[in-house]
Amino acid sequence: MRFRFCGDLDCPDWVLAEISTLAKISSVKLKLICAQVLRDLLGDAIEYEKILKLTSDAKLESGDVKATIAVLSFILSSAAKHNVDSESLSSELQQLGLPKEHASGLCRSYEEKQSSLQDSLRACSLRLSQLGSVRWRVDYTLSSSELREVNEPLVHLVFNLRDGERGGMAAVPIAISADKFRVLLAELKQAQALMNTLL
Amino acid sequence: MCGIAGKSSCLPVLWKNTALSQENPVLQSAAVGELGRLAVELLRRGAAPRACEAAARKLNIGADTVQHGVEGLTYLLTESSKLMISEIDFQDSIHVLGFSDELNKLLLQLYLDNRKEIRSILSELAPKLPSYHSLEWRLDVQLASRSLRQQIKPAVTLKLHLNQDEDQIAQVLQTDPSTLLHLIQQLEQALGEMKTNHCRRIVRNMK
Repeated sequence: MRFRFCGDLDCPDWVLAEISTLAKISSVKLKLICAQVLRDLLGDAIEYEKILKLTSDAKLESGDVKATIAVLSFILSSAAKHNVDSESLSSELQQLGLPKEHASGLCRSYEEKQSSLQDSLRACSLRLSQLGSVRWRVDYTLSSSELREVNEPLVHLVFNLRDGERGGMAAVPIAISADKFRVLLAELKQAQALMNTLL
Repeated sequence: MCGIAGKSSCLPVLWKNTALSQENPVLQSAAVGELGRLAVELLRRGAAPRACEAAARKLNIGADTVQHGVEGLTYLLTESSKLMISEIDFQDSIHVLGFSDELNKLLLQLYLDNRKEIRSILSELAPKLPSYHSLEWRLDVQLASRSLRQQIKPAVTLKLHLNQDEDQIAQVLQTDPSTLLHLIQQLEQALGEMKTNHCRRIVRNMK
């Protein structure tokens, strides 16, 4: 059976297995656990003790609690990844065996946070490096060991790059003459115009 | 014949070790018990000089003697576990040391009790290639470059995260879709090899 929230593939076996664990928790508590899992997916700290308290009524073992969090993380992030609307998600979860109230509670939490989830997923997509900031300085060369009167402007640029691999900042310094700098600026303006046609 | 291959340097050390040559059988078994415990701890966690000093005080012998005894026993245990020698071979090997039967039995018991654990520790010492951790990917389309406008050039960028000796390294790769399809095809062929008769025969025999 192909599910949209799994990217038009079969649902993974472990997700199927844990649906019955989700059904053991009351639908109200499930909605609160969803809120915690969404906080974790959006980058805030998860409050594990609250989740433990919410699952204590259902008498879940610690392995089951972790499995619940994992299954909810998968369902919510996968649905956001494939841009599934909340009604389709609800019907697909019911097809997997999740009771109606649980599915609708889950999907209501999902709907509230769908666009923020997608924004945060977009932000952590693969990115090789990122420009942090640019600093510049214009100098005027008066004279050098090669020529007594040089009298030329010189531009110093420092690009601060956020290195995708290790997450540190790397500084790349460049010194350009005025002519080359004009060429660089013209080309970059052309690239910017092209980008604007796409936005 | 000595089943413990060639390296007979440990055997004279053990033989000269006065801790194990105690005449009193009670002291002997206490010494073997203590040294055996220290030897296994050395293999699990590394050197523990204070534990050796404590044992020396308890057994009333020099700390150096305890140290040498522990090292000798460690060597005996690792070589025997490495080669997975049978009980009879082990007994024949330590017979040359001329210890009492009691002591030989204690050493054999020490070997048999700890053999499995020592083998699992030794298996972690083998050199390892970098192993897969995760894969991030991105699909881009190049629309224009400085030299050419109005292009459509799709490209897939991959970042392969690998684990190597507790470090994480990342490798960035880029490919066009047709090479990616070829890559997928090759990998699926490799997986399919497991189902051939040749591989199945080998897997069956290994089990």
